[in-house]
Amino acid sequence: MNEAPAAAAETPARSWTPRLHRGLFLMILLIGSMGFYILYPLVLILINSFNVATIAEPPVYGLQAWRDAFSDAGIWVSLWNTIKIAIVRNLLVFPLGVLIAWILARTNIPFANGFEFLFWLSFMLPSIAVTFGWMLLLDPNTGLVNTWLKQIPFLNRITFDIYSFWGIIWVHCISGLDTKVILLTPAFRRMDAAMEEASRMSGGSTLKTMFRVTLPVMTPALVVVFLLGVVRLFESFEIELLLGIPWGFYVYSTKILDLARQEPPLVNQAAALGSIVLLLLAIIIPLQQRLIHGRQYTTVTSQFRPKLVDLGIWKFPLMLSILLIVFLAVGVPILSVLGGSFMVRFGFFNLPKTWTLEYWQMALSDPRLLEALENTLIVAGSAALIGPILFSLIAYILVRTRLPGRSILDAICWIPSAIPGVLAGLGLLWMFLGTPIFRPFYGTLFLLMIAFIMGGVTLSTQILKASFIQLGRELEEASRMSGAGFLRTYFKIVLPLMAQTMVLIGVLKFLFAARGASPIILLATSETRTLALLALDQIAAGYRETASITVLLVVLLTTGLALIARSFGLKVGIRAE
Amino acid sequence: MGFLQVRQLRKRFERVTAVDGVDLDIEEGEFFTLLGPSGCGKTTTLRVVAGLEKPDSGEIYLGERCLLSHSQRVFVQPERREMGMVFQSYALWPHMTVFDNVAYPLRLRRVKAPVVRQKVMEALALVGLAGLEDRPAPALSGGQQQRVALARALVFSPRVLLLDEPLSNLDARLREEMRRELKALQRRIRVTVLFVTHDQIEGLSLSDRIGIMNGGKLEQVGCPEEVYYRPATPFARDFLGKTFALGGKVSRPANEGLEVRLDGMACSPLQVAATSLPSARGGAPAAGDEVMVAIRPEQIAIWNSTPAGIPNVVPATLEGVHFLGDRYEYTVSLGSVTRLLIAPASQVLKAGQRVFLELKSEGITLWPRSG
Repeated sequence: MNEAPAAAAETPARSWTPRLHRGLFLMILLIGSMGFYILYPLVLILINSFNVATIAEPPVYGLQAWRDAFSDAGIWVSLWNTIKIAIVRNLLVFPLGVLIAWILARTNIPFANGFEFLFWLSFMLPSIAVTFGWMLLLDPNTGLVNTWLKQIPFLNRITFDIYSFWGIIWVHCISGLDTKVILLTPAFRRMDAAMEEASRMSGGSTLKTMFRVTLPVMTPALVVVFLLGVVRLFESFEIELLLGIPWGFYVYSTKILDLARQEPPLVNQAAALGSIVLLLLAIIIPLQQRLIHGRQYTTVTSQFRPKLVDLGIWKFPLMLSILLIVFLAVGVPILSVLGGSFMVRFGFFNLPKTWTLEYWQMALSDPRLLEALENTLIVAGSAALIGPILFSLIAYILVRTRLPGRSILDAICWIPSAIPGVLAGLGLLWMFLGTPIFRPFYGTLFLLMIAFIMGGVTLSTQILKASFIQLGRELEEASRMSGAGFLRTYFKIVLPLMAQTMVLIGVLKFLFAARGASPIILLATSETRTLALLALDQIAAGYRETASITVLLVVLLTTGLALIARSFGLKVGIRAE
Repeated sequence: MGFLQVRQLRKRFERVTAVDGVDLDIEEGEFFTLLGPSGCGKTTTLRVVAGLEKPDSGEIYLGERCLLSHSQRVFVQPERREMGMVFQSYALWPHMTVFDNVAYPLRLRRVKAPVVRQKVMEALALVGLAGLEDRPAPALSGGQQQRVALARALVFSPRVLLLDEPLSNLDARLREEMRRELKALQRRIRVTVLFVTHDQIEGLSLSDRIGIMNGGKLEQVGCPEEVYYRPATPFARDFLGKTFALGGKVSRPANEGLEVRLDGMACSPLQVAATSLPSARGGAPAAGDEVMVAIRPEQIAIWNSTPAGIPNVVPATLEGVHFLGDRYEYTVSLGSVTRLLIAPASQVLKAGQRVFLELKSEGITLWPRSG
C-alpha cells in the first residue's frame, strides 16, 4: 500500500514507468522463485544421475550410476511393472467408467445424483484407507473373506491373495473408477440431447445411437480423461507400497524409495531411474497436450433437460450393480477399518468379548500418534493458508496483467502436475541436502510444507485463473476509478470477491497434504512423520489395530473435511475443463 | 379423418400439465403449425408425436398405422415412426461431415452405397447445399447447418416432417429468407409438415392451417386468415397481433341487423356483421348487452374529413404522430380513451387535427365486456 495517489496525480506522465518496473520486478521474482522451486529439483535429479558421490558430499561425475541401473534387472522390471499395471487398469476401469458415467447422466436410473455423490465420496477417500481396508479382508492368512471361505464346503480351497498382481489390480480398479465417473458424468450430461434424438428420428436404435453418435461426439472428453489416466501412470504409489513390497513386487516409485532407503543409500541409481521417468514424461506430456487441444467439439447447448434413455427392465439390475460397486469402493473399506479399530480381533465375531475401546485408548495416549496428528495439522494447515495467497497472486498476474514473461510463468506452473510425488520428493531431498544453506531445513516440517505446496500448483492456479476470468475486469476498474491503487484494489475488492474460491483452494491443499504420502516419504524423519506416513509404517510393521485408528484419523481429516466443506456449498473436487 | 391423427393427448411433468387433451387432424401434404407462447405445450406435443416423450394418455395414428395408443398399450419407438425432424439446435453430429450427417438415416436403412450417394446429393441440392458435402458439420454457418438438418430429415422420404422452431436461431434477415425457401420446398415435395413456433409471422405466412395453443390446450384451429381476423378466444385475439378495442352496448340484436353504440361517442351506431361473433362464444348478444368491439389496427382507415356514404366512421383527435420508417404510429383519442393506430406512411397528418376512423365491418369482432 505504498502508493501515493497525490503524487501520481501530480505527475501523471511518470506514473506509468515505475509501475511497469515494479511489475517487471515482481515477475522476475516470481519466475525466479517458482522456477527455482519447481525446476531446480528436477535438474538436480538429472545431474545427480551422473554423480557417483552420495548426497552432501563433493560431486564426482561418472556414469557408474547409469551403468549400475542398467545392469540391475530390478530397475527394468519395476518400470515394466508400472506400465503393465497402468495398461491392465485402464483396460478394465476406463470402459466401465464410461459406461457408468453414461448410465448416471443419460438414463432414467434411480438415485443418479446419490450415486454421483457416492463416487465423489470415493474420490475423496484416501487410497491408504481403501488399500488397508481390503488388506484386512483379503490377506491370505488373516483376511476376513478368506477365513469365511475356509468354513464353507467346496469353497474352502479358494483363497484370495491381495499380495499379488491381481490383488493390486483389484484395489486399483476399486479406487480408480471414481475419477473417471466424476469427470465424465458432467461431460455426458452437458451433451446436447437433440443429437441423440436426431439419431433416433433418423432410424437409429438406442444401442446404435450410443455407438454411432453419443460415444463419437463424446470422444474429445473421453480422450482427455483417458490421457489424464495415462500421465497418472507414474503417480501410483501407496497401493504398490502396501501390496507389492511384501512379495518383492516393485513399481518404479517404490523402487526409488527402496534404492534411497538402502544402507548405504543408492540415491544416484534412484536419480538414474527418476531421469528415465522424467524423459518418458517429456515425451508423453507434449503428445498429450497436442491430442487434447487437437479436437474440440462444441456439444454444449441446453435447450431441454436432457431426454433420459429408458432402461426398461435393466433399470434395477443396473442400479444394484452400481450400488455394489460403490459399496465395494466406499462401504467395504470404511467398515473393515472401523471394525479393525473396535474389534478385539478383527473378523472374530465369536470371541467372548468381541468389541473393545482398548485400542482407541491406547492410540490416543500414544505420543507417536499425537505427534503425527500435530505434524499433519501443522503441515496441511500451513499449506492451506499459504497456497491460496501465493497462487491467487500468480493467477491474477497471469490473467489480468500484460507483463512480459507470463507464458513462462504459466508453463512453469504446469510442470508439477506432470511430476509424480516420489520424483518431486527425490528432487527436493537433493536440493535440501545438497545445498549447504538449505541443509538446516532437513528434518523440519518446513520441508514437507514446501513439497505439498508445490504439488498443487497446477490445479490451484487453473481454478483461480478460471475464477479471475469469470470475475470480470469492471469491478476492479471501478475501484481504480474510485481512487484505490493496485494493492488496495487487490485486497479490498479482489480477495473478498474471491473468498469462496480461496477457501476451496485451501480445503483442497489441506486434503492433499493430509492424505499424501509419496511427495514426503523421502523427506520426513521419524520426528516429522504425518499421519499418512505413520499409518504406512504401522501397516508395514503389522500393527493392524493401531493402523486402523491412524487410517481412520486420515479419513476424518480428508473425507470428513470434504463433506463439511461440501455442506457449506463448496464444490470440492475436479472438473473436466 | 386426417392423415396424422392425434387423439386426447395428455402429458404431465411433475406438477405441470404440459399437454391437456389435444386433438389434431392433419391432412396429407398439409403444412400445419402449432403456434403459442413458450410453455404452452406445443413442443411437448411435437415430441410426443415424434416418440421422444411418452404421454400419460392419448392415441396417435399415421394413416392406418397406430403409433401410440394408451388403451392398446402401443408405443412405436421414434426410430420406427418414419418421421423426419429438424431440431431447434439443428443437432448436427460434429464428428461427421455434411455428407455423413445426411447419409446417416439411409445407412441405417441399409441402402446401397451408390444409392446413398445419389440420394444425399439430391437432398443437398434440394436445400441448396450442393458442393459442401465434404465439409465437417461444425464448419458451416447457422443457415447452412439448418439446411443440412433439413436435408437429413428429408433424405429418407419420411411420411411426416417435424420442425421444432427451426428458424429461431437464425438472424432476422436469414430467417425471412429461410421461411420463404421452406414454404417453396414444402410445396414442391408435398411432404406433410407439423411445425412448432412461437413466432406469429412464421405461423401465419407458412401454414395451411394453424392451431393456437395455450396452457396445454388447443384454443383455435383454422387457416391463417381465419384465426387472425376471426379469433375464437381472447387469447387467440391478443396473441396474434395488436388489437384496437372500444367498449359499447348492443343497440339492436342480431336478428334485426346487429348494431353497437360505442360508449361516450357521439356517432351513429356501428353496423356489425353477424359473423363477427367469436365462434367459441355461443349465443347472440341481446339488446343492452355490454360488449367490446375489437378490430385489427390495419383494418382501420384514417380520413381527413368525414367520408360520405361509408358506414362505421368514428371521429377522433390525433394526439401524437411517430414516424417508424415504413409507417406511422398514431396516438388517437376517442372521447375519454386513447388508442394506438398504425398506418402506411403515405398520408400527411398533423398532431392535434381531427380525424375520422373507418372501422371496416368485416374486421370487427364482438366480445363480452369481461373478455
